[in-house]
Amino acid sequence: MYAYDKFDHAMVDTRVAEFRDQVERRVKGELTEEEFRPIRLMNGLYLQLHAYMLRVAVPYGTMSGDQMRRLAHIARKYDKGYGHFTTRQNIQFNWPKLSETPDILEELAEVEMHAIQTSGNCIRNVTSDQFAGATADEIADPRPYAELLRQWSSFHPEFSFLPRKFKFAITGADTDRAAVKWHDIGLIVRKNEAGELGFEVLAGGGMGRTPVIAKTIREFLPESDLLSYMEAMLRVYNEQGRRDNKYKARIKILIEAMGADEFARQTEAEWERIKDAHIDVPKEEVARIKAFFAPPPLEVLPKYVPAVEELSKKNFVFAAWVKNNTNAHKVPGYVNVTISLKPHGGIPGDATAEQMDLVAALADEYSQAEIRVSHEQNLILPHVALRDLPAIWADLDDAGLGTANVGLLTDMIVCPGLDYCALANARSIPIAQAITKRFGDMRRLQDIGPLKVKMSGCINSCGHHHAGHIGILGVDRKGQELYQILLGGSGAEDASKAGILGPGFDEHGIVDALEKVVAVYLGERKEGEEFLATYRRIGAEIFKEAIYDAA
Amino acid sequence: MTLLSLTGIDVRDWALLAEDELPQEGASVLVPLSRLLDDSDKLFQVAGKVGALVPTNADYTALESLCGQLALVVIDFPAFGDGRGFSLGVRLRKDLGFKGEVRARGPVMPDQALFLLRAGFDSVDIADDSRVEAFRSALSRFDDFYQSDYTGGRALAFARNGNASTRAAS
Repeated sequence: MYAYDKFDHAMVDTRVAEFRDQVERRVKGELTEEEFRPIRLMNGLYLQLHAYMLRVAVPYGTMSGDQMRRLAHIARKYDKGYGHFTTRQNIQFNWPKLSETPDILEELAEVEMHAIQTSGNCIRNVTSDQFAGATADEIADPRPYAELLRQWSSFHPEFSFLPRKFKFAITGADTDRAAVKWHDIGLIVRKNEAGELGFEVLAGGGMGRTPVIAKTIREFLPESDLLSYMEAMLRVYNEQGRRDNKYKARIKILIEAMGADEFARQTEAEWERIKDAHIDVPKEEVARIKAFFAPPPLEVLPKYVPAVEELSKKNFVFAAWVKNNTNAHKVPGYVNVTISLKPHGGIPGDATAEQMDLVAALADEYSQAEIRVSHEQNLILPHVALRDLPAIWADLDDAGLGTANVGLLTDMIVCPGLDYCALANARSIPIAQAITKRFGDMRRLQDIGPLKVKMSGCINSCGHHHAGHIGILGVDRKGQELYQILLGGSGAEDASKAGILGPGFDEHGIVDALEKVVAVYLGERKEGEEFLATYRRIGAEIFKEAIYDAA
Repeated sequence: MTLLSLTGIDVRDWALLAEDELPQEGASVLVPLSRLLDDSDKLFQVAGKVGALVPTNADYTALESLCGQLALVVIDFPAFGDGRGFSLGVRLRKDLGFKGEVRARGPVMPDQALFLLRAGFDSVDIADDSRVEAFRSALSRFDDFYQSDYTGGRALAFARNGNASTRAAS
């Protein structure tokens, strides 16, 4: 993991002091809310429906056991004993007092964490593959590049007041677990024919009310040119992105309007002028950052562990957990464990302080003190020896963290919705609870197989409904909360936009409609065919008939 | 109203030339960019020094032919969040090689003081005098920066690595 040096420490400490001063001025009334708003937003502090909400960055979703323990402490001391993990791999605290937020930031700074640029019209937390550095299918660990981008984008003198928020995602693997094609800029680590590292650069993806899949702007950008090329892209966007209408201000609208070819041409022209201007850091710095992400020394272990096999035979839930919640590590005898934050009937993405403490303790004992947050709102213990799975599962299960549903229907991405959010049109959490209860039977879930359901409580699509195999969108129709179903989206390397099936349902009807979609799939699927493949083969019509004609 | 120098250069107030008015012989005047683009010859002949008042939505290339004759460019922010003003500052220094004064005007915030400085601005025209102290203290808040800029500032990555002067080779 990256460790701060004195410069990084000075940067966040200064920011905390600055924010403390600003909050004091606000509390004393020297700053109006109007003046304070942009300042608090630059520090991740939102005003929600009922209270302030503080969004803390977990850079590229990687943190240590100590950092997780500090989050637990903050949840306990300053909040109501829990936090919410988000699709940007961050954590949100829902009930902090304004006057205490500087203390929270100070406690975070002590463990090398911050809330810088977790909101506002700036470059947000760079997200990445939750298995980065620990998966067999990657070309290179993308996190050193994410850290380079984090530093470059922090307090950028030119790009801190963009037309709109700006989201980067980077993956080092062909299998896209970071939804890079749904980002303002997506980066995929590639190797060229000479075997040199670089990136495929995509831009103009995004969700919201106008879903667009990113287009490739450059097939191969050498590793050493990353920052100057990003600067060129951001400059074109900062100058020409629309500022007259915030719904048309994202880079996707600019690129749709001018065309990806023209955007690429302008980017390349600008890049030619700046590529030797010392925007890119010295190669020693790249090496310094890479060294922090060196693979942990893991002794190769047997792939067959009798204790795991025996427990699997005896205990169906454990067997399901091993099957669904673990995936292959690059070192034989190890796996990455995904801890589901989607208990059936629970609140997706939430974790209590006690659960965070447990995850921190498990990380210290079993996963090289490392924890990841996925954009699918789960936690990951990377680098876990297979032989440790029974002990880990027992501890997780005792703490309500043993749900074996990763990648299955109930492992839903869900936004906070109208229970918390000032923008929402409809509640999300109660619908997710109803769905996960209805589909809570593990045997049935496993039979349905891999299926990504994603739900947003409004058109802003924080719950990624456009990218769901099944998407659910909450809307407000004359004061009534209705839920529309979308089918056929994907956030993976085969990215696609989900299409709306038809009129919405009320909060009970949506669960029944989902049942019918699943029933059609089960009836139509070929042997071993997953939901998305079946949908792509048979199309929307048959689902539509099942849902609307029978009613 | 207070004029604050960010870079330490001497700053003074420039009178904005009224529409249809001609400058007095030898006077320093601030002229809207649109008028300079219309007919600048006469203005440059009569006036002592000419400054351009430039909206944030201006294309920097429009300034290219004027740049050498201007002593001041005032970038007029309609809102603190209009980040085009920062790119304009960068363009003036980086692409046009402008050596005169670059000034920010409009509702910019104290917390933007360092951003302005690093984007090539020399001064800021602060409408609300009560904010001047906040601007001053914001100016010295950070010592190091993660990015190189076009005013001679180098990313701290260079200092971290013994002031390595070369970027990684392509």
